Amino acid sequence: MLVHLQGAWTPWLGRLTLSQIPYNSPIVLGAFVFALLMAVPIVALFTYYRRWGYLIREWITTLDHKKIGVMYIIIGLVMLLRGFIDGVMIRTQQLLADGPRSAAHLQAVHGYLPPFHFDQIYSSHGTIMIIFAVTVVLTGFQNIIVPLQIGARDMAFPYLNAVSLWLTAAGAALVMISLFVGDFSHAGWVGIIPLTELPYSPGVGVDYWDWALQLSSLGTTLGALNLITTIVMMRAPGMRWFRMPFFTWATLSTQTIGLTAFPVLGVALALLSCDRYLGTHFYTAGLGGNLMLYTDLFWIWGHPEVYFIILPAWGIMSEVIPTFSEKALFGYTVMVAATLSIAGLSWAVWLHHFFTMGAGPGVNLVFSVSTMLVGIPTGVKVFNWSLTLYRGRLRFETPMLWAIGALFLLLVGGLTGMMLAIPAINYTVHNSVFVVAHFHTMFLVSVFGIFAGLMYWFPKVFGFRLDEHSGRRFFTFFSLGTVFVFAAMYILGLMGMTRRLDYLYDPHWQPLLIIQEFGIFLYCVSVFYFCKMIYVSIRDRAKEAHGQDVWQTSRTLEWMTQTPVPFYNFAVIPVVHGRDAWAMRRDSGLTATSPDQYEDIHLPNNTIVPALLGGLAFGFGFGMVWRIWWLAGFSLLGIIGLVILRSFADDKGFTLKAAMVRRMERNHEDTGIMTDHISPPVAELMLFQ
Amino acid sequence: MRADIIAAVNQGIIAIVQLRHRADFMRRRCGWLRLSPLALLASLSGCSGHQLRLLHPDGPIAATSLRLSVIDVLIMLCIILPTGIFVAISLWRFRAARKARYDPGFTHSVRLEVLMWGVPFAAVATLAYFSWRGVFLVNPYAPTALGQRKSLLAMPDRPGKANPLVIDVVATDWQWLFIYPDQHIAILNALRLPAGRNIEFRLTATDVVNDFYIPQLIGMIDVMPGMRTKDMMRADRPGVWQGFSADISGAGFSWMQFPTRVMTQAGFAAWVAKTQAVPTHLDYARFRSMARPTIDLGNVTQVFSAVQPHLFSRIVHAAMNGVTYTTPMFLTEHMRRDLARRVPYLSGYPHS
Ligand code: HEM
Ligand SMILES: [Cu+2]
Ligand SMILES: [Cu+2]
Repeated sequence: MLVHLQGAWTPWLGRLTLSQIPYNSPIVLGAFVFALLMAVPIVALFTYYRRWGYLIREWITTLDHKKIGVMYIIIGLVMLLRGFIDGVMIRTQQLLADGPRSAAHLQAVHGYLPPFHFDQIYSSHGTIMIIFAVTVVLTGFQNIIVPLQIGARDMAFPYLNAVSLWLTAAGAALVMISLFVGDFSHAGWVGIIPLTELPYSPGVGVDYWDWALQLSSLGTTLGALNLITTIVMMRAPGMRWFRMPFFTWATLSTQTIGLTAFPVLGVALALLSCDRYLGTHFYTAGLGGNLMLYTDLFWIWGHPEVYFIILPAWGIMSEVIPTFSEKALFGYTVMVAATLSIAGLSWAVWLHHFFTMGAGPGVNLVFSVSTMLVGIPTGVKVFNWSLTLYRGRLRFETPMLWAIGALFLLLVGGLTGMMLAIPAINYTVHNSVFVVAHFHTMFLVSVFGIFAGLMYWFPKVFGFRLDEHSGRRFFTFFSLGTVFVFAAMYILGLMGMTRRLDYLYDPHWQPLLIIQEFGIFLYCVSVFYFCKMIYVSIRDRAKEAHGQDVWQTSRTLEWMTQTPVPFYNFAVIPVVHGRDAWAMRRDSGLTATSPDQYEDIHLPNNTIVPALLGGLAFGFGFGMVWRIWWLAGFSLLGIIGLVILRSFADDKGFTLKAAMVRRMERNHEDTGIMTDHISPPVAELMLFQ
Repeated sequence: MRADIIAAVNQGIIAIVQLRHRADFMRRRCGWLRLSPLALLASLSGCSGHQLRLLHPDGPIAATSLRLSVIDVLIMLCIILPTGIFVAISLWRFRAARKARYDPGFTHSVRLEVLMWGVPFAAVATLAYFSWRGVFLVNPYAPTALGQRKSLLAMPDRPGKANPLVIDVVATDWQWLFIYPDQHIAILNALRLPAGRNIEFRLTATDVVNDFYIPQLIGMIDVMPGMRTKDMMRADRPGVWQGFSADISGAGFSWMQFPTRVMTQAGFAAWVAKTQAVPTHLDYARFRSMARPTIDLGNVTQVFSAVQPHLFSRIVHAAMNGVTYTTPMFLTEHMRRDLARRVPYLSGYPHS
């Protein structure tokens, strides 16, 4: 061993011992029971209805960008729920642990969580929400919608797309397993240095965080490569740059950020791993290390990452608002310019996350001004959305409600962001809950955008609408919860409350903490209505079934496909004659999609390799976390071997004959449903035939 | 001309600040004012406006930050309020049921587009000006806000560094040590300052990063191992404020508070003299045993005399040379499995 480890280590199990499983912690036990209650019925149902084969053939092995997108979104929503539960626990701890006289429960000194446990919970809350919930759901949307919007049959690299998904899933699984085996990091989602160094974090928590981020960042980088290539290369004939739907522009900017920023995270974490595994001194305080290097590298990724999260949400808003205003997006060209400049500027502002690190006035000033410059294109966007509403014909269906909610939140987040951008102000609120309120306001813009997108595109993907009634309740309670929690949080920031406190020394904060807890209660009610919405919608799916274009006023190409979208997307690739291609066709009465002539469609076969790679990546991560070298080594060899093997596979892909396409399409037009359940076969299964 | 504008803006700001103070005063006097929304908010937050620490600065540095916040918010509101109102009105006016004028062709307007870039640009330019001023006013190394201030805009160019009291701040896991090098005294987990005199802090940490923060007096500054940061401030009046670490540093972080007592100059001198006479001395060896991971649950303070000269640089150099204070497993993530050791954890890590 190159580093000194506290605790035992054996060759077979590494640092893993039975005592690492916290069966004696009532909270973890509760979480475990909850997870079982969720998982057991699902497993039972799949077994009872013998659907495992279907699951593997149609989903696990799929290369279809829509199914991959759906799986991204499901993973993201599950993680969103986990992150939400973490949030509830954080709020409750702070409420109970306010003031020196506050009571103690379980093993805590104040409240019910000792700092060790509390620190892990807020670290996993942040990590999960940012990396595994919001980012993942938005990636799912981009996966599903972008190829449809540009009139493509799939992504540029369908196989790579599946690999990205399964790498992300492996990262998410590492975070989840840390709940039951060992610990998670206690150093915040940003991994505060040098707290993450081995002497101060001797356990496996930081390693879990490190490898989970590393895997998902690899997945995201590959995904960015894929989406950019798709947008550049796979547009339908006639889809010139300035005819692209706005969401596609947003995706292009987002993924450009992704492709350039995520490798920086990879490097930052790799150097940290060197410190923790090899005993190097990249980030240590002494012996030539430089801890500020980590802070810089992290935020050189971290700030672009926040725009990686917000830009797609703004893209969704830019689709939803025009649809429900029955008007094209105001100032399309200006919007594109604004989005691209935000993506560009997002590179030049990272230092605003550590104005307090002691840089001189010159440096701080430069980054202050560059940060405020971001406010200009952001303002432009807000004005364009407002003017899109102006002289429109507004319908307040649920997607529109979420989009408008996001618009108002953005005004608040922008105001506070511009405050934080001024160092003289920042010094007083940096690391206070004022900043926490700022970035939650901004992230909630993303979350509102996500729900707008979910309500908006759900009928396209699944063929039926989500229940409006419970959807509205969901929106109402979620919005009210947001107001109560975060308005109170801003005030607490002004009262000098700092971040990440397990114990709050000032009893005067109690009233506001109670208000926040009430907001959390409202959030919980909203979760109930979300579940109800899903349940009711699935129950009444026959009643709510819809054709091609549910909203009747949508504008972009994805609404031209059949609903639900067949795996080949477009029977015949459409020719595009202008911006808002679908609205153009509708306005000129050219909505009939059945052409005179069909052609053969060629698509890749399904394959199990990406899922296996994901599994091996998980094995590698788990082996590294616990320092089980043989497991990590074999998994890594397995990954390399499988990739090489696959590159030799002589897989010609799958051809759907023109006659078949014709039959499927005509059938669909007559009955409104896809009768023939055809999808590409699994390549590996064909080896055995 | 320019001077006029400056004077006008200045008056406005002063008026707002005064208005706030008057509101405070009135609230204390007249009960009915409690019903106004702002007062209600304040009363929610503990029945005294002074709980809103950031709105009640007690020194020039914090006051400057507040002034800039007010300016920033006012400028931003000039844009954000009208936009919000415009959106709200549009939502109401153009809802489908109302059958207002519908114009799907209104999707482009050069004039509006020039305006929508121009207005935010103007706002950012103005804010950039204030940011530039502010960066020097509260520059941690040499804040001009401590100099003679005639007005906010016509600010002093020279840093107010006259005759500062130097205090060396050391953050350990998880306590604060304040050394007064010129007086050869030190105090643990509490800070004593004279009112009306400039204070110069030099800060470092033994181990991990913390953030030094006294909301009403001084903004945050990072405290980093192996490095020295600086910050300067002055307190207007005697009183007690709460200082604490603002940046997570491990298990004991939530208890890293240090009551900050600002005394009259005479009172401070008396305290120094008294402290110089205490029998407990502080040298590097003693510091090392004190710096081992300790959770300061009960805010235990201690004073030292005859502090070894250059102790601060000694600590900085030690960190640079790789001295660390390893956190034991049971004070990190692994606490759950060390329930048996709960007792030492509760009472703070013992100094055996
Ligand atoms: C007008 C645009 C914005 C401005 C001027 C702005 C400004 C800032 C500044 C100066 C900070 C540093 C505060 C501090 O730590 O002292 C900050 C923090 C942060 N902002 Fe923003 N911001 C903007 C938009 C956004 C957006 C769109 C997002 C994400 C969706 C976002 C997410 C965050 C996050 C996550 C942090 C804090 C991270 C942490 O310390 O854990 N911001 N913002
Ligand atoms: Cu959160
Ligand atoms: Cu940022």
